[in-house]
Amino acid sequence: MIQRLLPFATLIVLFVTLCFVPNFLSETNLSSVIRQTAVINIMALGMTMVIITGGIDLSVGAILAMGGLLGTMAMEKGQPILVGVAAGIATGAFCGLVNGYLTTKLKINSFIVTLGTLGIIRGMTLVISNGLPVHLIPKEFSFLGEGTVLGVPFVLWVLTACALLVHFILEHTKLGRYSFAIGSNPDAAFYAGIPVAFHMTCVYAICGGLTGLAGMIEASRLMTGQPTAGQGYELQAIAAVVIGGGSLRGGEGSVVGTLVGAFIMGLLSNGSDLRGISPYWQQAIIGAIIILAVSVDEMRKRRTV
Amino acid sequence: MLLEIKSVQKHFGGVTALRDANLSVREGEAHLLMGENGAGKSTLMKIVAGMQRADGGEVLFRGRRVNFASPKEAAEQGIAMVHQESLLAPHLSVGENIFLGREEMSGFGVVRRGAMMARAAGLIERHGFPLQADWRVGKLSPAGRQLVEICRAIANGSSLLIFDEPTSSLSENETKEVFAIVKKLKESGAGVIYITHRLEELRSIGDRVTVLRDGATVHSCELCDLSRGQLIQHMVGRDLGAIYSRTALVPGEEMLRLERLTRGSVLKDIGLTVRAGEIVGLAGLMGAGRTELCRAIFGVDAFDSGRIFVGGKEIGLKSPRDAVAAGIALIPEDRQKSGLATQLPVGWNLTLASVSAHAPMGVLNGAAMRATEEKYIAKLRIKTAGPGQKSVRLSGGNQQKVVIAKWVAQGAKVFLFDEPTRGIDVGAKTEVFETMDELARQGAAILMVSSELPELVQVADRILVMRQGKISGELPGKTTQEAIMSLAAFEEEVRG
Repeated sequence: MIQRLLPFATLIVLFVTLCFVPNFLSETNLSSVIRQTAVINIMALGMTMVIITGGIDLSVGAILAMGGLLGTMAMEKGQPILVGVAAGIATGAFCGLVNGYLTTKLKINSFIVTLGTLGIIRGMTLVISNGLPVHLIPKEFSFLGEGTVLGVPFVLWVLTACALLVHFILEHTKLGRYSFAIGSNPDAAFYAGIPVAFHMTCVYAICGGLTGLAGMIEASRLMTGQPTAGQGYELQAIAAVVIGGGSLRGGEGSVVGTLVGAFIMGLLSNGSDLRGISPYWQQAIIGAIIILAVSVDEMRKRRTV
Repeated sequence: MLLEIKSVQKHFGGVTALRDANLSVREGEAHLLMGENGAGKSTLMKIVAGMQRADGGEVLFRGRRVNFASPKEAAEQGIAMVHQESLLAPHLSVGENIFLGREEMSGFGVVRRGAMMARAAGLIERHGFPLQADWRVGKLSPAGRQLVEICRAIANGSSLLIFDEPTSSLSENETKEVFAIVKKLKESGAGVIYITHRLEELRSIGDRVTVLRDGATVHSCELCDLSRGQLIQHMVGRDLGAIYSRTALVPGEEMLRLERLTRGSVLKDIGLTVRAGEIVGLAGLMGAGRTELCRAIFGVDAFDSGRIFVGGKEIGLKSPRDAVAAGIALIPEDRQKSGLATQLPVGWNLTLASVSAHAPMGVLNGAAMRATEEKYIAKLRIKTAGPGQKSVRLSGGNQQKVVIAKWVAQGAKVFLFDEPTRGIDVGAKTEVFETMDELARQGAAILMVSSELPELVQVADRILVMRQGKISGELPGKTTQEAIMSLAAFEEEVRG
């Protein structure tokens, strides 16, 4: 139990430590931490579901770019902002659907499938945009990434809504229950008569949809649709899930854990920035944290089984 | 004496595999080792071949006490084993597998591949095996792999060879060639131990026979002194232990009917009927096709031809989903692998097959699920700290009850029990039988696969015996173990 709470404890200790760093508690800094982490956080929520089923999605960075690009292109063509955002989400969900379909129908390992679609989607994004970013976006669109509601960054409201949604799916729906069962023992799930392929495809689609939304937030913060956005984000999303207690063997993971994992990484990088530690070192530190988190988790499991 | 085994013991956790195993093999002798499934034959031979270590007793090889730590040590002394399950590297060639671990080296640790492959080719040629030294082992049939195992065992001139029922997957010609190899080995003064279920086939080459039962040697004699009837008695004649006895019901309407079910050479022309309230036993030796039959009825493996009827209606089966929808449940042989998600809570496993019924519009009705979980934990008397406990922490018997409860909660009507008491202690076995009886009384039809003959005799209303993919006969429930064994192991029927 103590070790299960370790991610929380780490987050709290980290936060308290950072309180002694000048400027950390300033409103601008805190809201910038939230804005920076929100994109990874929302992607990581979808990734949590995929990892719980025992899969992985390496293509989310590319999906983020594709969603952001097609969403902003819709606005550029004169569509209202809401339609643009919906287009981004739908694009992501469609990409996820393809991932799920390939994984379950061709029975190829999800690592391989999404390694392939990572290339395909990224490539298609560059083809569609001709490598050029989309600039002609209505000014009001910046509200998604930069606006505030009731004194709190709007993205925090969006993140909270997404987190509640994914938590509800995982804990209170058939899809969630099946996800845990499939990840924990795919044979037992199959033998129980569960339509494994259908539910796994749903999970990938949801992950894609959330990633599409994250792509729109990213586009709104940059006020461009960047075909090269989100490179390497997939690894940060996976890291957040794993630090938060998700297991790549499947059957384990939670929304709260993933949020904690993402915020640990966000605070670390913010704290390093404030203390003037080079971003080169930040990468190394986060890498070490991942290994530390997983090894602590493994020790806990070995003791209890 | 080439090999002497004196009261060897072996335990796996709390399970005793060998209690008091004794065996002696002379030079130039082919010694048959016989016994039921689980009698401890393979375990004993693995100890001789250095794959496992004995917990007690002693093994003498050429008069010297040995205790091999690895198969390599045993091989260095001249002991080799042909395994039943293939222990080969599928991505390597036949030749590389034959010499795996003892490759010919030139200086600097470079494998002399050409010389090695030539030796392998010569070996294959001498015995006329349908193999090529450069074929990939992964592409071979089970019989082909068996032949590679045999080449591997004889390649370095061993003086004691152990065959673990090699002929079960071989064709007639290949079997003849294996027997010829055994004869040659005998002539050269080597000893051969041959694990088998097929006595008649081996009369021509065997010299002596030893029978193991429940981990102990019960009989050892010259082969010609032993009739088949005596042998069967030695193999099965044990105490029935705690007697569970069941009063059969008057069977109700037909629940499950199979017509001419066939799948390759695994299942041949299977027909059977199970009625409501009936427990039908399915006996047979390992590899007779019992598990395969359960998998076919449950939609896991597709079959080539034949029809399946549930409650008089023909059903089409593409996957377990269809079987579950038709009211069929499988309690699989390997509980940990395919019966239970061991890392998930007991309650989740319990309701796994009935989630849909508890989730209108896909949203779980937590209170209803909790009620179902509590109900079946109480009903099947599952000993657990509560529905939230991880399933892995339950005892084997209680895990099995969770798997059964999953299907009772789902509302299944036809139950396929595949080895329901495997890895369960005696007390829990009786509870599993009571649960089965209760299900039958509530109108379920039960097909029960078991390798434990006393169990079948105690529990089943009638017993079907399978041999080599066919149903070789039907016996009443209160039959003798001898009658089952003779149908399971031998070509023609023994009367009386």
